[in-house]
Amino acid sequence: MNRSAASFFTSQNFTLFAIVIVGAAALGVTSHGGFFDSISVTTFFTFLAVPILIGLAQMVTLAVGQLNLAVGSIGGFTSCLAGVLISSLGVSPWVGALSCLVVGAVVGLINGSLVVFTRINGFIVTLATMTILLGAQYGLVGTRTISSTKWESVYALGRASLLGIPVIFWIAIAMAIVLRLAFSHTVTGRHLLASGGNPIAAGLAGISNDRSVVIAHTVSGLLCGVASFVSLASLSGVNQSVGGDWLLSSFAAPIIGGVALTGGSVAIFGTVLAATIVRLVDSARAELQLAPSWVNFVVGAVVLGTVALGRFRAVRAARRIKQPVAGSSVTIVESAQ
Amino acid sequence: MTPETQQHGVVRRVIATPRFFLAIVIIALVIFFGSVKPAFFSGPFVIAPLLTSVAIFTVVGLAQMMVLSIGHMNLAVGQMASFGAMFMGMSYDLWKLPLLVGLGIGLVAGAAVGGLSGWLVARTGVNSFIVTLAMSFALIGLVPTAYSALATGSAFIAKPSGLDVIGRDSFASFCFAGYCGPNAIPIIVVPAIVVMLIVGYLYARTRLGRELLMTGSNVKAATLSGIPTGRRIVLAHALSGLLAALAGFFLASSTGSFTPGIGDEFMLQSFVGPILGGTLLAGGYISVSGTFLGIVLTLLIRKGLDLFGVGIETLNVLLGLILIIALSTDRIRLLARRRSVKRVQQTDALLIEGNPL
Repeated sequence: MNRSAASFFTSQNFTLFAIVIVGAAALGVTSHGGFFDSISVTTFFTFLAVPILIGLAQMVTLAVGQLNLAVGSIGGFTSCLAGVLISSLGVSPWVGALSCLVVGAVVGLINGSLVVFTRINGFIVTLATMTILLGAQYGLVGTRTISSTKWESVYALGRASLLGIPVIFWIAIAMAIVLRLAFSHTVTGRHLLASGGNPIAAGLAGISNDRSVVIAHTVSGLLCGVASFVSLASLSGVNQSVGGDWLLSSFAAPIIGGVALTGGSVAIFGTVLAATIVRLVDSARAELQLAPSWVNFVVGAVVLGTVALGRFRAVRAARRIKQPVAGSSVTIVESAQ
Repeated sequence: MTPETQQHGVVRRVIATPRFFLAIVIIALVIFFGSVKPAFFSGPFVIAPLLTSVAIFTVVGLAQMMVLSIGHMNLAVGQMASFGAMFMGMSYDLWKLPLLVGLGIGLVAGAAVGGLSGWLVARTGVNSFIVTLAMSFALIGLVPTAYSALATGSAFIAKPSGLDVIGRDSFASFCFAGYCGPNAIPIIVVPAIVVMLIVGYLYARTRLGRELLMTGSNVKAATLSGIPTGRRIVLAHALSGLLAALAGFFLASSTGSFTPGIGDEFMLQSFVGPILGGTLLAGGYISVSGTFLGIVLTLLIRKGLDLFGVGIETLNVLLGLILIIALSTDRIRLLARRRSVKRVQQTDALLIEGNPL
């Protein structure tokens, strides 16, 4: 049943891991070793933290069979709010920066409550909150950029490193580990997966699906808040564009990482590895000096391909259930489709 | 659900619909805006642009309504519009084709990409919003890449004869016996009305339309009654892509150029219109006139805010709030429909069928 640990040794994660290694090596060769110098490595990991965090934020909602379109706008709104709090209202930098987490969680809580109240697809609800937050973000900062000089102490964290790797990357990894433990070792985590895997069975087993949905959205919002905090610490300033390009990578990481889109499963290592691959594509794009739309195209095509291949995963899972080997929740979910 | 409602008296039926409510709100808003800001009734500067966007976004709303009718969604509606419009731009700019041929090519491109989404949904059984979301991601990358490779300045600006007539002219340029049409009504409303009539006819009068609605209200029952639901799903998505491409064409003809930015603002509007108008997210019930009225309402609010000098950010906040409120009413309507079921725990049809409650 310990899916996350076991899945690290399954083919999908090995494939992803191999792609990361090969991709990094290829980038190293094409850049004549420039990719592996310390500045370039630091940059790589600094800007890997946000993709990992938003991938995890999306993954948590996918786990209960929901999704969160507002990932980018929660991040953008909370970081701009923190910027305004610090620069205009004189809130101390740390309090302001950490307010991202609280506000993110509150927005997530609102999302979850709306989904439960209206009983409508979480997609539409988060589409609505996304629009509202985008408006609010623009209302907060307009066309100006609030410079990170207002929160020097937080910005210093963004440049600090531990064991040669940026601290904010370790923050992202810490979040991944916490999630991994929460999903495998806590009752709430198991409840979320049960609700996502089969809401009817979960309901009959006495699990509140409503509670699972609200918790998943809240945690998702909280993780967006962490991503926003990381952005504050690593970007030279915040403006209306923060969060604007988060949506695609937030879906790409869990989908490529092997999370079942129908809910009931998580793949934390897969998500982290897939986020790394997306980051590699972005680095390659910068190296080859292509237009940013290339990254979207490549990642979008890969996501579409992965979704299309879901059919084969389902067929394989159906075969697996005929000869029961491991009763992991994902096989049950997919065969039910 | 439709046969049920048909049994009620005509008047009661009309008043009970969201359409009636929308019409009242629209009339009230028009009176309010007109009395506070007399400039609102300025034909060529306020009414004509408003009607142009109504025409464009009604088609966008209908594109979404197509897939909503089978209980699916099309998150790539904006990208399908830009994809179709890209082919039209290429036809005019690179291949120097006449207006209608280029339009046809673009519509086929839109229908093809929509059909591909539908095929993936039907074949893999993956949720339509995931498939169309992935599709939108692929197109978000593809379209600007293609524009930057093929178009100078990332826009196709060649105009075949007739493009400006559709997009920018009003009836004022049509004169008969010394009397010209009003300059407040743009030509573009004519094709939009034609599209509405065709879509309305499809759902109200044809077997195909009925089969789409059947597929939407209960896939299993539809399959068991011999409807090729897989093909209907592909068809609904293809038509959605086609209408999206048509909306892209309208937008391009009104702005005068084909750019990768076409369709950027389509997604939210595409949902708000049908949902306000009473189209069920769950599938099986649509309303063409409701979609039209929903679009009119949101664009009217937008124009009104414009007149009062309120910024675009407030508009976004309002649109989001309107959507949430519309959702809640959707929920209340659904509850009213299922009043016989005492405690509806989930909208999930499965649960209602299988739950012993």
